[in-house]
Amino acid sequence: MFANNSCEKKGAGIMATRLVFLSLVCGAVSVSVGEHLTTSEVPPKRPYFVDCRSPEQETFSCWWSAGDYQNLTGPGALSVFFQKNRDVWRECPDYSTAGENHCYFNSTYTSIWIPYCVQLRSQIQDIVYHQMCFTVDEIVVPDPPVGLNWTLLNISQTGQHFDILIQWEPPPSADVKKGWISLVYEPQYRAINMSDWKPLEVERACYQSVYGLKTGMEYEIRVRCKQAASEKFSEFSEHLYVYIPKVPTKETLFPFTMILIFGAVGVIIVLMLIIFSQQQRLMVYFLPPVPVPKIMGIDPELLKKGKLDELNSILSGHHTFKPELYNDDLWVEFIELDIDDQDGRSHHSDTHKLLGSENLNGNCLNIKDDDSGRASCYEPELPDSDMLDRSQAEAREEKASLLDSEGRAAHSSTTDPSPPGRSHPGATAEGASRSHPQIQSQLSSQSWVNLDFYAQVSNITPAGGVLLSPGQQSKIEKTAEAHSSPKTQKCQLAMTTDSAYTSEMDAKNISATPSLNGNEPKVIVSPYTVSEAPASSVPPVSDYTTVQAVDSQQSLLLNPSTLPTKGTPMPAGYLTPEQLNSIMP
Amino acid sequence: MSEAYPGLVLLLVLQVCAWVLLLWRCWGVLGYPLDCKDEQGSIISCTYISLEKLLDRVIQHAELIYHVSEESCTLFEEMFVPVSMRTQQNRARNTCITKAFPIPGSKSEIQKISDKWLLHSVLMLVQSWIEPLVYLQKTLDRYDDAADTILNKTKWVTNKLSSLEQGIVELIRKMLDEGLLAVEHQQTLTRFDAQPEVVESILRDYAVLTCFKKDAHKMEVFLKLLKCRHTDKMSCYIS
Repeated sequence: MFANNSCEKKGAGIMATRLVFLSLVCGAVSVSVGEHLTTSEVPPKRPYFVDCRSPEQETFSCWWSAGDYQNLTGPGALSVFFQKNRDVWRECPDYSTAGENHCYFNSTYTSIWIPYCVQLRSQIQDIVYHQMCFTVDEIVVPDPPVGLNWTLLNISQTGQHFDILIQWEPPPSADVKKGWISLVYEPQYRAINMSDWKPLEVERACYQSVYGLKTGMEYEIRVRCKQAASEKFSEFSEHLYVYIPKVPTKETLFPFTMILIFGAVGVIIVLMLIIFSQQQRLMVYFLPPVPVPKIMGIDPELLKKGKLDELNSILSGHHTFKPELYNDDLWVEFIELDIDDQDGRSHHSDTHKLLGSENLNGNCLNIKDDDSGRASCYEPELPDSDMLDRSQAEAREEKASLLDSEGRAAHSSTTDPSPPGRSHPGATAEGASRSHPQIQSQLSSQSWVNLDFYAQVSNITPAGGVLLSPGQQSKIEKTAEAHSSPKTQKCQLAMTTDSAYTSEMDAKNISATPSLNGNEPKVIVSPYTVSEAPASSVPPVSDYTTVQAVDSQQSLLLNPSTLPTKGTPMPAGYLTPEQLNSIMP
Repeated sequence: MSEAYPGLVLLLVLQVCAWVLLLWRCWGVLGYPLDCKDEQGSIISCTYISLEKLLDRVIQHAELIYHVSEESCTLFEEMFVPVSMRTQQNRARNTCITKAFPIPGSKSEIQKISDKWLLHSVLMLVQSWIEPLVYLQKTLDRYDDAADTILNKTKWVTNKLSSLEQGIVELIRKMLDEGLLAVEHQQTLTRFDAQPEVVESILRDYAVLTCFKKDAHKMEVFLKLLKCRHTDKMSCYIS
């Protein structure tokens, strides 16, 4: 077996090599033969029609080349015959118009949509070198457009780019107006240094816009046309050059204006920030606040309603305080009180009396409707001695007025228990004459703040002075001390507490004074007494006290420290006659 | 209230839609007596159209038909016709059908033709090509899918051709005051009976397309000449 295989293999190998050798040989031979053939027997190029062309679909012409037949290049060596619509063959009507080797067919010979055949024949007209058949509508290749021009459409805001509109005319040979031929156009443009032409769209219109050209660069534009359905374009028109120089001022101005705008906006923003942050200060600077009335050293807040106690405390520390502010209020309140009084005549006098007692600070208030002009509100300090003298002088008058008002006060006390400042029924006065009911307060201005608006008449001195008791004992005592003097025995005002009833001591004082004894049988004990002794000895008396006893002189001895019992509803500061009768034996 | 709101909106939308639909149908009747929205030259839906506009539309049709026929011709040549047979010579050999009455080919002669003859020539051309195109569609079906585009173009052209016919009839009626009640179709197709070989069929189809392209061009030129005469009579007669 092996031997057979080897034999077969050997045979196959020999065959293969032979085949390869043969193929190689054959290839070489054929190539050499071919080369030989081509080099030796190259048929000369026969004359042939290069092309036929109709520029406007009204005439056409064909031209030929002699090829390798150099002896046939001269005129007349070759002839052209044409056949129109499979008719008879005729010779070319015009050899000269279109130029050498051209056959020109004018409009009379030209029919569209009709098949033509042209033949290139030798002069003897027996050899047909070349034949070409066509229809005229197929060979229409128009002339290039003419009249190329451009107009500037716009330049961009940056001045870098611009747009133009290019326009042209159809070739004059083509009868576009009548509609005999329809042309489409294709413009192309490029930058001069570039090599590639950029074609624009093929359109029927004789104008087109070119967008996005750069300033400072020169451009070249050309247009060509063709029949609508054909594929053969015409030659290109003459080149049009477009150039727009760069506008440097616009470029440099542009960032400058932007800087200006941004700067202004920034400045405005900063100003706004400043204004808003410093709003309060600016308001104060431009619109200064109107100064409100102000008392030096006193917070205006205290002057509002309801804060009187604090104000009182402050003002008590000031020596030169003038109670001007409270003038009107007190007057008003006094007036109100007087309305209730039945007797009209004594209004004025009562008011004056009461006013003087209540406004113990009353440098200013003591000066009432006095046309004498001796005293004025604006003097910071009036010497106490002056005040005392004045009080002495008018003591009788006061007494008189008080006496008159006694009875009325007695009546009025029942009806109007509230105001403690009214003249008490127990108050006695020696004189009956009316006088300026000016009640002068011995107390200095400082002490009045501690008093209520209403002060009670504590006693009437034999001289006719009315003694009032303030709200607070301590102040009263102080003022009483300050102003007490031998001279003032008669008309000293001693301020006791608000107690409606006199204390024991007070009662003694009262009893000591002859004036009291001279009173009417209906003695209404004034809750206030004139005390020559320092008022500090007078203990604080509550509003209501009980009567301890009545001494021999028919004066009431009151219990100073007792509070009013429930069973004894007393009018404030007054002891009614009935009550007195009940108490007295 | 808020619950009723979507309902109200929906109702409103429906109302608007109904009105739009209603008006859409009537749009042609109501709004545009001069603009025929339908295909060019159709008398049926158009109530009125001016002569200029009709002429423009007819020319538009002719241009389009010529353009599409040229495209299909080129496509067919590229796809099916062997390279060796694409010479001009072979193209020219395809003689197209000669019509009943010869149409002059030179410009000068054509310019001498009256309006009436121009219109009638165009009409005749249009009418003569409707049937061959229909037949061409059938033959193109025999090709494989490669001819689909050509088939579609041919179909489109056939449709446009029939509307062009209507337009021409209308033009004749307007310009010449003639009434053509019956549309006459000339029977010219006898040579397409036999079933030739593939190459022959290809060449035959190619011939049909080429000839149709020529005639489409003819129609376009005639109509444009007609328009020129209509707008500016004096200059159009001067060659």
